[in-house]
Amino acid sequence: MKKISVEHLARVEGSGGITATIDGKVVTDVKFTINEGPRLVERLTVGKTPEEDVNLVPRICAICTLSHKYAAIRAMENALSVKVPTKVHLFRELMHLGEMIESHSLHVYYLALPDYVGFPNAIAMASQFDLEVKIALEMKEFGNHIMKTASGRYIHGENPVIGGFGKFPTKEELLWIKSRAIQFMPFVLKTVNLFCELDYPDCPEDNTVYACCNPPKNKYGFTGDEIILSTGATINKEDYKSLTNEFVVSHSYAKHSCYQGKPYSVGALARVNNLGERLKGKAGKMYSKYFGPRWKRNPLFNNAAQALEILYTFERIPRLLDELLKYPEDPPLVKYSAKKGKGTGIVEAPRGLLIHSYEVAEGLVSHTDIITPTAQNAEDIERYCYIAAQRLLENRKEDKIRDRMDLVVRAFDPCISCSAHLAEVKKAPQDDWKEKLEEVKKKGSPIYVGVGKRTRSDDGLGMELALKLRNRGISDVWLEHEIAQRGGPWRNKHHRPLVFLDAVDFREEPGKIVLLPLHYVFSNTNLSHKLLPFISGEMHYERLKNSYVLGIQPESVQEGKKMSKPVRLSMAKVLVQIVN
Amino acid sequence: MEKDKKEKLKIGIYELTGCAGDALLILDCEKELLDIFNAADIHSFLMAKSDNIDGELDIAFVEGSVSTEKEKKELLDLRKRAKVVVAIGICACFGGIQAAFQSQEEWRKNFKAVYGDVKMTHTKPVQSKPIDSYTPELYRFPVCVECKWNENDCLLNKGIPCLGPITSAGCGSVCINHNLPCVGCWGPLEGANLSSEFQLLRDYGFDHDFIKKKMANFSGTGMADFLGKIEGDKK
Repeated sequence: MKKISVEHLARVEGSGGITATIDGKVVTDVKFTINEGPRLVERLTVGKTPEEDVNLVPRICAICTLSHKYAAIRAMENALSVKVPTKVHLFRELMHLGEMIESHSLHVYYLALPDYVGFPNAIAMASQFDLEVKIALEMKEFGNHIMKTASGRYIHGENPVIGGFGKFPTKEELLWIKSRAIQFMPFVLKTVNLFCELDYPDCPEDNTVYACCNPPKNKYGFTGDEIILSTGATINKEDYKSLTNEFVVSHSYAKHSCYQGKPYSVGALARVNNLGERLKGKAGKMYSKYFGPRWKRNPLFNNAAQALEILYTFERIPRLLDELLKYPEDPPLVKYSAKKGKGTGIVEAPRGLLIHSYEVAEGLVSHTDIITPTAQNAEDIERYCYIAAQRLLENRKEDKIRDRMDLVVRAFDPCISCSAHLAEVKKAPQDDWKEKLEEVKKKGSPIYVGVGKRTRSDDGLGMELALKLRNRGISDVWLEHEIAQRGGPWRNKHHRPLVFLDAVDFREEPGKIVLLPLHYVFSNTNLSHKLLPFISGEMHYERLKNSYVLGIQPESVQEGKKMSKPVRLSMAKVLVQIVN
Repeated sequence: MEKDKKEKLKIGIYELTGCAGDALLILDCEKELLDIFNAADIHSFLMAKSDNIDGELDIAFVEGSVSTEKEKKELLDLRKRAKVVVAIGICACFGGIQAAFQSQEEWRKNFKAVYGDVKMTHTKPVQSKPIDSYTPELYRFPVCVECKWNENDCLLNKGIPCLGPITSAGCGSVCINHNLPCVGCWGPLEGANLSSEFQLLRDYGFDHDFIKKKMANFSGTGMADFLGKIEGDKK
């Protein structure tokens, strides 16, 4: 067994690493780790006013600061029924485009390009690409300038607030931005050519599902009220959890996400894949010229997609400013009186779909959920690194694995500071489940929920146990298929504990019993399905704290096989303990 | 370029837990960036380069706050390797939003709410808090001074809860220039008249807890003593 790892990923935002474990000729595991410490941002916002929340959450990340602000404002305005005038919408779009330019030009030229032309950093690269490095810096500065004009400063500007802006720029400032945007066009076109013509390695390549905001009116753009997938499906923003299904993993401070049990990707490549046909003008022409089947399968093309989006942005800005200039009057902040509400806001951060969801009660935030793009990409980052490592190993290019994984991770333009959900879980503890069950019972009479599939040998144990409990006269027992009809017991906040009964693979002896808090649902236990991670993602914090999994290590979960003997014995033990 | 290499300062830029904004702001010096890299030997700058060296340094710039045991070790190691360690940004100086929880007890409670009884295998988490002593440089005056320079109307006079009087200057009173109240993000000003600000906001009719939370948003541990005291007064 041997490990190949990049301990500190360089030229990314924040601190993280990637490790592949190799056993002979097989890559057994790839893990994307996040080294940032716990910040508890979501908890921090609870009890704050909506305005304070909008001040605080952009601090999650400096490079996506305005995307966080935008998503938070959209969510809050949605929750509190605040309607802002057109000029506010247009100016918000401008600030967001500024961030796209700033972040994309930093990433493609400074973080990504050095790899493809053989330099350790962009400054060293300047010896050979003098002009590119200099103009790209100017382009990045232009993005920063827009952000500063709109928000008040480069990073964490406070000008955008719920209900509008504290202050709007003058006509002269807007006209300057317009003329400067036009000046950049020749370099922007060169940028697209450069990044679309780079020689991207064909390893790793594989299909995935791409997700992004669906901008209204069949336009390209970076906001919307629904999510569109490359499968053609759309999801209303309030139902975002049916896309993200967040779950905790054991090796990273960020939660991971899966859609229908599979990894998916967000980011510029997702947007170009899903919305590219909607591009018009020069960006539309470049799309027709360069877009091809490899863009659908190869994450490295995210660099090309970002270059294409830089072009879209530079074409959009002059038109947007013409529209903005039609509104000479600066609208005052929209006042609102709502003290409670619930709402979600979605925007595209430069590196992908960003979701903020809030509940406000008595004028204060009572629940916060923030899902960042890098957290959503984590599963696909690992999967693509796995594919790359395995193929290089088969082709006897083991020495290339480290650098290739580095390249793949960087292509996703990860933003590690953004991992707002910081969590880490260790392997199943060796606690005595009987004692724990008694403790749970002390909190209130538990509701037992049997989950699993009865045709798949030991996976049927949850359902089997639940049915047996019912036969013994225990009344509060639910079966998996009844959950939907009853609306899900986790939706209410009452304080009776929930105990899920399920086969849980800890890689222990078959029949081993454990009782775990539900948020111990982790990746190195192989749950029979993704139902529990899904449910735990849907839960209110208070509910989650009072939910548990009573798991038994299965021997086999093969279709059609009978239940194994050790599992049967353990089931009997559990039954006795619960009934008594 | 080679000949003056010996005289160049050896500099490292390090990121602990935070939003990485201070490191990004260095990259935001677009016009000066090439000059900076030419004028100094940038030994380590994880956000900008891959060829980083862990050796002796003349200056280590550190952003972010210590939030894990690993980061604590890293910082102590840096202290040994560098002649001068400079804390940059509110997280490094005061803990930032990571330090907004008032007491260790409160931090533990919230930590548990997120992570449950989970034992960290990675690296042990620690609560961000200020070190025993530090020397604040520059800006020994509040945001209000800059606000006056910019000829803004005082928002407190209009009854808007502005933290300008108790917040370190340096931002150029950017929020008030935009007709918005100061949120306190540059951290607490040493020697500010906290109780006067508190009383003023009370007089305007703001709730005790509202003011306390507002003051703690960005400067939590930086004014923990004061906030603890007013909590005591309430009782």
